[in-house]
Amino acid sequence: MSTQIDTLEPLPAPEPERPPGRKLSPREWMRENLFGSVFDTVLTVVFGLFLLWLAYRIGRFVFFDARWEIVERNITNLMVGSYPRDELWRLWAALFVLAASLGFGTGALGVQRRREVAEGRANPVGKGGLRRLGPLILLVGVLLWFGGSLEALLLVLAISAVGAAFNFLGMRTPRRLERYVPLIVLAGIVVAFLVVGSFGGVGWNRWGGLLLTVFLAVSAILLSFPIGVLLALGRRSSLPAVRAVCVAYIELFRGVPLITILFMAFFMIGFFLPEGVDPPSLVTRAIIGFVLFTSAYIAEIVRGGLQSVPTGQIEAAQALGLSPFRTTRRIVLPQALRAVIPGLVGQFISLYKDTSLVFILALTELLAIAQNITKQPDFLAQGLYVETLVFASFIYWTGSYWMSRESQRLERRLGLGER
Amino acid sequence: MSTTENGKAMIQLEGVSKWFGDFQALKDVDLAIDRQEVVVVCGPSGSGKSTMIRCINRLEKHDGGRIVVDGIELSDDLRNIQEIRREVGMVFQQFNLFPHLSVLENITLAPRNVRRKPRKEAEERAMEQLRRVRIPEQAYKYPLQLSGGQQQRVAIARALAMEPKIMLFDEPTSALDPEMIKEVLDVMIELAESGMTMIVVTHEMGFARAVANRMVFMADGEIVEVGPPEHFFTSPREERTKQFLAQIL
Repeated sequence: MSTQIDTLEPLPAPEPERPPGRKLSPREWMRENLFGSVFDTVLTVVFGLFLLWLAYRIGRFVFFDARWEIVERNITNLMVGSYPRDELWRLWAALFVLAASLGFGTGALGVQRRREVAEGRANPVGKGGLRRLGPLILLVGVLLWFGGSLEALLLVLAISAVGAAFNFLGMRTPRRLERYVPLIVLAGIVVAFLVVGSFGGVGWNRWGGLLLTVFLAVSAILLSFPIGVLLALGRRSSLPAVRAVCVAYIELFRGVPLITILFMAFFMIGFFLPEGVDPPSLVTRAIIGFVLFTSAYIAEIVRGGLQSVPTGQIEAAQALGLSPFRTTRRIVLPQALRAVIPGLVGQFISLYKDTSLVFILALTELLAIAQNITKQPDFLAQGLYVETLVFASFIYWTGSYWMSRESQRLERRLGLGER
Repeated sequence: MSTTENGKAMIQLEGVSKWFGDFQALKDVDLAIDRQEVVVVCGPSGSGKSTMIRCINRLEKHDGGRIVVDGIELSDDLRNIQEIRREVGMVFQQFNLFPHLSVLENITLAPRNVRRKPRKEAEERAMEQLRRVRIPEQAYKYPLQLSGGQQQRVAIARALAMEPKIMLFDEPTSALDPEMIKEVLDVMIELAESGMTMIVVTHEMGFARAVANRMVFMADGEIVEVGPPEHFFTSPREERTKQFLAQIL
């Protein structure tokens, strides 16, 4: 039986029309955008000359004037600080393990992603592959150039080959094993860590240079993110005690300069430990300081995201019978975090660069070493600060730029629902 | 206590009242709804229609009176609330699909997480529901890639996937373009004819005439008039009802 009611019949969808495409020749483009009016022309000429002059000065410094031998001779110092030179093989071995597990992971993930795109379930996000590693490849290239060591070059090539081989392997993971891929990658990272630190290895308290910088940044990011999310959820909790504790924590640590927290980690940690307990090492204290500080900021960023999720979403989840925990985990958090990716990555980039502040704990990360090497007998009082600072800046910049690009990619990939 | 034709009511509201601050949204509302009955609720905006059905699955907490759904009385006990929500499906004016999940994931989410169905079974059942609302080909798309009418049909499929005994519709066609209203109403008519117990807040009087067993007219937080559609539309008793019908018909 069917019942007729009078409403409008659906209309056939009209053919989509496109605006007429117009492709400009370079000449037309220049006329339109650079020399459109007298004022435009003046601006173009002035800024063009300024940029040429700037490029010339930078080029002359980098390729002729700069005395890069301070970086060349200290490249190992800059990379690992006072890490024992006899144990360097452990770092290379760890890099091999990391390349294998990350190559495997990205390969497996890439296949999943391509399948989702093919099924129309995900946005194609442009070319991936090596282009995604662009800034990092540039960094490694520059480091190898400064290193000037054939051995290092061969090792890097071998590591890349291992990475590529495992990438290939990852792309051939059977579908039923796909769920274990994150576990395999995690296991690889743990193994790499053990290779360096355990079995008579070198604990992280003796790490330095770029190695220490990256370790501080990665571990602080990985720890502060979940803590920040929990704090954000706690701040919106219906339990007054939980809310009060979270608000107090967030407001306390957001209101104190990072450098103060690091000083306190250095001087005051003893007050909070019972008698007879050894205080944690300086690196651990630094990480605790970074996590305390960053998690408070992340909490506020995530709270902004939580507020952007419409109440209708929560009501729909409740109406389906989802528990409060599942509603948060499946409905609220995924949407909230997606909305705040730019803010989160901004905070992470900030943290990456702020690791340079650990010099006040007498830790020698990248920037501290870049400063210290100018005081070596061979280079003392020769004013080579610019070279070392430019080099350190370049390393910070490549890492930050890479994170920024990856976050934009992530936004595009997750942005499907927003069209 | 109000009784219904075949004995025990599916939904029983007794003296239900609800306050929003100083404003009383529901005043002593009594209503009993039978198994397999389709009740259409209408009334001017702000009359408490939505509030009433939102109290039935505890999206709003009622301040006074009793609500009994399929023999379970709504209380503050979270387990009680969860049990009732499992039995009561709801469709919203704004669809409220989850934009970060595909259509299929939207539908399988609750069966997998609440009813603990294995993925495969949940997906098969979801496809059945999608065929029922006539959009199986959209299973892998995301909600915002669909038209409003398709989204609302997915929302109906999502609610039905929990195999509820009761379906609540809160102005399901009010946010739709006119040419999409019919496709949603057609699905609702089929559902009504299949014997689902339904409470529908709507101004679609064509739909009400076609499938409603009873009309409920609300104004200012009170139920003003209840009756079968044939009487309701042709010879309403109350002056307030007549005024309202004159405006919308």
